[in-house]
Amino acid sequence: MGSPKRPRRSGTDPMPRWLRYSIVVGIAALVVVLMLSFRRDPHDIRTGTVNKPAAAFTADRLDGTGTLSLSDYAGKVVVLNFFASWCPPCKEENPALVRVWERYRTSDVVFIGIVYEDATDKARAYVNTNGVTWPTVRDDDGRIAFAYGVFGPPETYFIGPDGIIAGRHIGPVDEATLVASIDKLRAQASR
Amino acid sequence: MTRERALILVALLAILGALAWSAWPHEATAAERVDRITSELRCVTCQGLSVKDSPAASARQMRDLVVQRVAEGRTDEEIRGEFRAAYGDWVLLSPPTSSWTGLIWLVPLAALAAGLAIVIRRMRAAVPSAAVPSPHELAALRERVAHEEALDLPQADGAE
Repeated sequence: MGSPKRPRRSGTDPMPRWLRYSIVVGIAALVVVLMLSFRRDPHDIRTGTVNKPAAAFTADRLDGTGTLSLSDYAGKVVVLNFFASWCPPCKEENPALVRVWERYRTSDVVFIGIVYEDATDKARAYVNTNGVTWPTVRDDDGRIAFAYGVFGPPETYFIGPDGIIAGRHIGPVDEATLVASIDKLRAQASR
Repeated sequence: MTRERALILVALLAILGALAWSAWPHEATAAERVDRITSELRCVTCQGLSVKDSPAASARQMRDLVVQRVAEGRTDEEIRGEFRAAYGDWVLLSPPTSSWTGLIWLVPLAALAAGLAIVIRRMRAAVPSAAVPSPHELAALRERVAHEEALDLPQADGAE
């Protein structure tokens, strides 16, 4: 005597085994992708120009004292910071930049500020009132920002002595991130 | 041929001529190339707008760069490649089929195939099957008919 069969729903066949497995595998894959995405630091986007040679540029200095070329700082650790006077997160991160600049300014570390979509007079006022003493340049046509893949200020790029972009920070950067990134590049350079 | 028919024929020929003229391949002008490239590029500071459609300052600067590159004689692929090098495939409004992100084009096809499979399956299940009765069922039916005949039940309405 066989076991009683489960009654079927009228008009439909039970879902085939392959379809059930496919749905389970699909949901599992989706969960894994979401878990990996949530684990990523949204400030640290390792795409685009990271791990590639930093784009060379020559730009007018904001203070009007001539031009500045990235190639002038070959062999040094360069911290490239895109900022604007109209950008509140830039003001938020500025004290950390000032402190770290004071800490490394006599070493082989260079900070370069790049004005992003801002009027020159407003950018100058911002620099003068916020203690920005590192060299800053204008990027009136946005070519430097496009070459580095900037989405909007503030963004900070860490360029090693080898000229390769080692890291990128989107949004206001804090002192610990700045120091850790700079020290890592300096340690690599001294090896 | 009546005058009306001649007019209809002339109108049809004019439409066909216009269609053929518009579809005929011709070398794009610099302005057309700029429009085409900027309509494929994403404005980096906007939400889902192309460089062509965005009024943002960064979009204007990107358009100026495209204009310059076209004037320099760069190909469309080289110009797109310059932006892709900095921003990745994200900067293209339509993901390229050549990279792994091109797999996204398969998603609607896969969804369509899955939907068709489910619809076909349901349609098949909905059709009543004219299954042949098993010998056991046939024997039971014969037994029932014989039983009803033996009882001499009255026939259905209308039957004599």
